[in-house]
Amino acid sequence: MATEGTSAPAVALTAQADGQAVVAHANAPAPAPADTPQLTPAQLKAKAKAEKAARRAKVKEDKEVVAAAAQSQAADAKSGKGKGRDGAQTSGPQGPGKVGLTHRPSMSGRRPSILIVEKDIRSSIPECFSHLPMAKRIPLSQVHKDVHPAVLSIGQQMSTFAIKDSISRLEATLKAFRKVIESYETPKGNSLSRHFVPHALNPQIEYLTECRPMCFSMGNAIRLLKAKVNSFDIDTPEDEAKEGLLEMIELFINERITLAEFVIARNAAKQIQDGDLVLTYGSHRLVEKTFLRARGDGRSFSVSIIDDPYDRGGQVMATTLRKAGIRVFYSPNLGGLKTHVERATNVILGAEAIFANGSLHAAAGTADIAVAATAASKKVIALCETINFDRERVSVDALTYNEIDPEQNSAESFRLLYDTTRDHYITGVITEFETGSGNSPAQAILALLRKQEDPALN
Amino acid sequence: MAPSQTTYSPSMEKLVKSLKGQTLEASIESFIYLLKRRQVKGDDCADATAHILRQVVAKSKWSDVDQLLSRVQTVGSRLAKAAPHEPIIGNIVRRVMGLIRDEASEDRNADDFGSEAASDIQSLATAIAPPSHSGPPQRPGPVPFRPPPLTSVASFHIAKPKSMFNLLSVVETAESTITAASTPLSQAAPTSIHALRSEVLDGIEEIMDEISQADDQIAGFADIQIFPGDYVLAYLPSRTVERFLVKAAAKRKFTVFLVSLENPNTTTGEAPYAALRKKLSSSGVKTISIASNGLMAYMARINKVVFSARVVYQNGGLLVDSGASVAAQAAKAHSKPVIALGGVYKFCPEDPSDEIAGEAGDSSTYVSYAEGLKLDSLEVENTVADYVPPELVDVYLTNLGPQTRHHLAAIMADHYKPEDVGFSFLSNE
Repeated sequence: MATEGTSAPAVALTAQADGQAVVAHANAPAPAPADTPQLTPAQLKAKAKAEKAARRAKVKEDKEVVAAAAQSQAADAKSGKGKGRDGAQTSGPQGPGKVGLTHRPSMSGRRPSILIVEKDIRSSIPECFSHLPMAKRIPLSQVHKDVHPAVLSIGQQMSTFAIKDSISRLEATLKAFRKVIESYETPKGNSLSRHFVPHALNPQIEYLTECRPMCFSMGNAIRLLKAKVNSFDIDTPEDEAKEGLLEMIELFINERITLAEFVIARNAAKQIQDGDLVLTYGSHRLVEKTFLRARGDGRSFSVSIIDDPYDRGGQVMATTLRKAGIRVFYSPNLGGLKTHVERATNVILGAEAIFANGSLHAAAGTADIAVAATAASKKVIALCETINFDRERVSVDALTYNEIDPEQNSAESFRLLYDTTRDHYITGVITEFETGSGNSPAQAILALLRKQEDPALN
Repeated sequence: MAPSQTTYSPSMEKLVKSLKGQTLEASIESFIYLLKRRQVKGDDCADATAHILRQVVAKSKWSDVDQLLSRVQTVGSRLAKAAPHEPIIGNIVRRVMGLIRDEASEDRNADDFGSEAASDIQSLATAIAPPSHSGPPQRPGPVPFRPPPLTSVASFHIAKPKSMFNLLSVVETAESTITAASTPLSQAAPTSIHALRSEVLDGIEEIMDEISQADDQIAGFADIQIFPGDYVLAYLPSRTVERFLVKAAAKRKFTVFLVSLENPNTTTGEAPYAALRKKLSSSGVKTISIASNGLMAYMARINKVVFSARVVYQNGGLLVDSGASVAAQAAKAHSKPVIALGGVYKFCPEDPSDEIAGEAGDSSTYVSYAEGLKLDSLEVENTVADYVPPELVDVYLTNLGPQTRHHLAAIMADHYKPEDVGFSFLSNE
């Protein structure tokens, strides 16, 4: 809370720095004459100048400190969520609140150089969005020494959005963690179940979080992984434990990613009838798989893709679908959305994640589509793997949990990556968990999660 | 104050300048050319239409009101057909026709007070007069009847005495309407057609003034609509919205979310709305340029949405720039007020048309022609105009002040004659 309090005004300063420099200058000399009336104008001027310089230096300093605070706080907030769930298990030396502290000693010498970069990046974020995190590139030279090379590489790819969507990031993370586990050796006098998480796993997680805030699926997976580590007895042999972990990761990738994708595509494809015009937004792996599956099932339908002109992922998907012989209408922006939606028979949207209250966390613009479709009384189906479900976070607007697009972050442009679609704009969610119709109302998510996750936790 | 002071795109400026030199037909043709190439858009269309109709009244042959009306209507139809995506042209044509009807009926009333006989003679006289009178369209040389709107008022006042002789001496001017308009009832019968002409010209000048002043008048209501601390979303701010925001910025400290539809890949050079942002920041108003199409994400923060209407239909629906309906819809979903700006001249006594709202634009900005394969297989639809249904609009801020949907009909009735309302410029051949 303390950091929160100080960060807000200082970030305000940063935000205003370029815009209101003039104001600051005007204020700076003002108090000088009052204090020292006996000085000559020339002296006054010199004094004012010196004061101004000092003031600027101080502001700069403050900014750096605050930027650091904000940064680590943001990191805490994110990683804390992932960890918070296992409660006591993780509150060891690497507990959420201490991330910053444990991190600093090893890199105290280099820290300032990062901070200057950070300040510049974050200074163009408008004050009212300053609470939101943003992915950033971390020079390799400034990375914690414990970060595994495999993790290092995916971290870089995530920060540059080469690995972008939630499931790809999850998969990359798990595969990298597999390498971390394989190369892990328990130091003498320690047990894997006590040593692995704080000393081998947490630095990786911290680094990944710093590169880009973790997505919900990563948080969920890491939580389950940590639970697994903690489930080992203190004197479980290292090999056995490692084997167990690797097996778990393997199973996880197979079940929660590969199989889930297959099941969802199969179930969702059943929603597509011959002659349908299905509308979708941007590009989403599950949606694409669904269309291809439906096509493979022999359905003849056409697809209307509304794209985000700042992302244009839809173009790639459009080409893929076209190659599969699906007729594609491509609309490069949200213009004429009403017309497009009214023409469509139903709407299928891909989601990044789903909150505990049934809100959809998806690419910015998805909510606009859902609202328009609801207004036109069209069926809106969301596709999402259960690993992307969040049981604890609730979001009613897009500003609670979001990310700033680092590519579009300047004085000339600002962009949020996600938006939140309230559950009443969604007819149903298709997950891999439900059988049969595969449809469940968004409100039922919580119950669904309980049902599924309880055995895993116990 | 003159309409020619407003800023035109270069080609538009050229057109307006050339109006006085060209024959009527040439001006109409060059305007149609500009319309078809979409080099004249929106508000400029309205203004240019007024200019052209002014020429029609001034230059073309007509001997009575019905002829004049049919001329205006014919030219109006041609313009409207050249740009079916700009219903605003029809608005101006209707306004001018309404004006002519008004002036004519006023004249008739005046005649009724006087002598029926005189008016008969007059109509006879005028019936003979025009042929020689309206030769000028064919006449070369830059000085036809009407000097440009801004030339000195005094120039032709000397040539004022009214007589038959004067009537035939060609140089009756727009400027003389000032005297003529002030004393319509005292007009001698023979000059009635002149009086009508000059009064109509005067009326058109008024419409042009209205168009040019509307933005300022709308901006005058800015500080009522915007409060300190507001977060205002301005969707593709037009001139009207820009002026509105700048005016509000003079009195209030608020934050503007600018949404531009600028193609991100082509905006390597000038950032969109750089001038507006500079103006706003100089008065301490922060601007956040949103690079996004979907606006639901930002709506939680925003207090109100402002955009300008291209046209306000009689049901209260709006024709807007593409994507503004997304902004309106997002605002509705978050129960945030939507303020649509637009002068009364944008009120269109028609029902919304699907074809116009679905107007398709150039898709090459989004899909590269270099990727031939992609183009072949995709059906790219870049919609450039949108329709906002009336239930999404909360306030219609006009030059006559803020209005609600329920009051629109009354305003329409004030500005258009019922005879012209039902008339469609597009369907009529």
